[in-house]
Amino acid sequence: MNKILAVVRREFVERVRTRAFLISTIMLPVFIVLMTVLPALMMSGSEHTSRIAVVDGSTGGLGAKVSRALLGEKLTDAPDAQARYSVQVFPASGGQVADVRDSLIAKTGFSRRGHADAWNGVLVLTDESLQDGKVPYYGDDVGATQSMSKIQRTLSQVLATVRLGKSGVDPGVVVHAMAPADLQTTKVSDGKLTGQSGEESFAVAYFMGFILYLSILIYGQQTMTSVIEEKTSRIMEVLASSLTPFQMLLGKVLGVGSAGLAQMAIWGGSVFVVGSQRAHLASLFGMSSDAMQGFPVPTMAPDLLVVFLLYFMLGFLLYGALYAAIGAMCNTIQETQQYAVFITIVIMIGFFAVFSLIKDPTGDLGRTMSFIPFFAPFVMPVRWSMTSVPPMELALSLGLMVATLLACVWLAGRIYRTGILMYGKKPSWKEVLRWIRA
Amino acid sequence: MSSPTVSVDAVIKRFAGHTAVNRLSLEVSPGGIFGLLGPNGAGKSTTIRLIMGILEPDEGTISLFGSREGSRKLSARIGYLPEERGLYKKMKVLDHLIFLGETKGISRSDARKRAHAWLERLGLSDWALKKVEDLSKGMQQKVQFAGALLHDPELVILDEPFSGLDPVNAQGMKDIVVELAAAGRTVLFSTHVMEQAERMCDRIAIIARGEKVVSGTVAQVKADFGGRHVALGFTHDKQRAEKILADRSLVASMDDYGASAELQMAEGADPEQLLALLVREGVGLRRFEIVEPSLNAIFIAKVGATAATAVANPGVAA
Repeated sequence: MNKILAVVRREFVERVRTRAFLISTIMLPVFIVLMTVLPALMMSGSEHTSRIAVVDGSTGGLGAKVSRALLGEKLTDAPDAQARYSVQVFPASGGQVADVRDSLIAKTGFSRRGHADAWNGVLVLTDESLQDGKVPYYGDDVGATQSMSKIQRTLSQVLATVRLGKSGVDPGVVVHAMAPADLQTTKVSDGKLTGQSGEESFAVAYFMGFILYLSILIYGQQTMTSVIEEKTSRIMEVLASSLTPFQMLLGKVLGVGSAGLAQMAIWGGSVFVVGSQRAHLASLFGMSSDAMQGFPVPTMAPDLLVVFLLYFMLGFLLYGALYAAIGAMCNTIQETQQYAVFITIVIMIGFFAVFSLIKDPTGDLGRTMSFIPFFAPFVMPVRWSMTSVPPMELALSLGLMVATLLACVWLAGRIYRTGILMYGKKPSWKEVLRWIRA
Repeated sequence: MSSPTVSVDAVIKRFAGHTAVNRLSLEVSPGGIFGLLGPNGAGKSTTIRLIMGILEPDEGTISLFGSREGSRKLSARIGYLPEERGLYKKMKVLDHLIFLGETKGISRSDARKRAHAWLERLGLSDWALKKVEDLSKGMQQKVQFAGALLHDPELVILDEPFSGLDPVNAQGMKDIVVELAAAGRTVLFSTHVMEQAERMCDRIAIIARGEKVVSGTVAQVKADFGGRHVALGFTHDKQRAEKILADRSLVASMDDYGASAELQMAEGADPEQLLALLVREGVGLRRFEIVEPSLNAIFIAKVGATAATAVANPGVAA
């Protein structure tokens, strides 16, 4: 047991220490942050308090109402968020409107640093605004569609409230009536509720499948490469004299696996942190939080996380053992490709099954595949996330996986035992069979 | 006396197409240095791998310390330096030694202490935190040597331990091997360099084509070989000796080194007669000595020239 631990530790420490590991581990979270921030940054332009001058040429105090509504808008949803606008009303009667407007426009559109009291925009309200709804706006941010639609929404509400008020409707009723509809989506399949919003279930399913697919491919190949390295560096013989093939195999798969899991944990953790802290992140980059909502962060229920991790590890070990066996059979990386392609195909089938499963999570295909141990790691977590899987099915699937895993480790151990000391020509399938039977 | 440390009994190992080890029996008693000698391809490494349990014999049995459990179970008591040297290139020297110690079942802290001690002894302390790949080949070999001995094993099996070392390092390794034997450990090593074996070993076994040719203590092997042997050293006019040395009634066989030669006298021939003849012919002699046969002479006589041709051995290096 201590010997296996020694092998695991060596694999883990040596792997984690490499520059490649460090770079890939750090770069992905940085990449995620950039992917989150950049689009939002590009879309939103300047997400800070806008200074708006309101020229009020109306007779009914429309300027005050608009000003109040605008001042109520915040930059983010946070309780202590900054106001979206700072507003000043300039009353102007009849003929003065144009003059006041022009004098204000003259102070609009300067960069912040130069003119602290410059305006970002000038809004012109007249009595006609109530009639035809036309509100002229002159500003430096008219190209920012998001900002414009926000102002437009606020103005529409004020105009509607005033119009309704004039018709004698109670303002309280108006506010209530004006509350926008909020569409709440829930995924239904085969007449059953899944308890998840449509987007979320897709994202989680896709995310899980993708993570598993990627990590098995990357770390499986690494396991294989590391076996080849041990063969070419001829250290295998020293190891073989003090460790059993089973100890070497299990130690290697677990060691490479735990390095992989550590990396995944760092990545997963950074996705989570970016997701939960996006408001902070946004303010760090001077943007509104809304701007970042476009970036979907999958959330996982605890039971799903457990199921996922369970299958992730079992699948990882299963494929890791197979990859190690292939490494033991070959002498060069090039040689391995010819065998590894079979595993890659199986993994691909498992991965793409996730897509058809997302469409039809309760179908026979999904059920059948969750009993085939090579596909179950992909299929089962997705099914669990999208439908309610009977516990018996889960138990059966897990049992089959464990049995197959043990069989595979045993099989790989047999191949390993003979293969690790085989140099020279590549074995034929017939020879490999003989190794297993020997 | 207790049971032999290593006992190989009628072992046969076949590889596709040929027999690498053929009904070989060996016994290595506790203590001392045992030399496994043979030409390239004789089956030395295969024999050692069989003893180490890396290969399984097709027939026959191997026991270590009187037990049939196999070397892996007993690996804490055995140190092994394979012929194919190999270390993890990217690992730091110290970490590597600690890891090798751990695979032998000693604790991490203990392994660290011993690794430091060994690096100190081998003059590699400054390299402890360097990567293995930064070391010269000779240094790497010393590290591997230390790795095999880190857990202070009772039985040390070294496959061609001195190959690839410069004279200074080879001398250092030799000192360690001799020290191990002096401390009561059992050392089994293979070599095809006879002079080395002759000087170091208490007991030897010569194998060729997978079969044992001769075995026993060095003195015994020499005594059994019998005959009278003469070592010659020439200064000048060596060509005048040619006719005399070719006389089969006088000289049974000769191993010619150019400036010197070792020869076996023919049955009933007298070395003094030979000396008289050489002097009369005017051959310049630097040395004329009646000697024990060298292991090299025995080796060549027993194994013959044909054995030098290694048997083709696909798949596994012999």
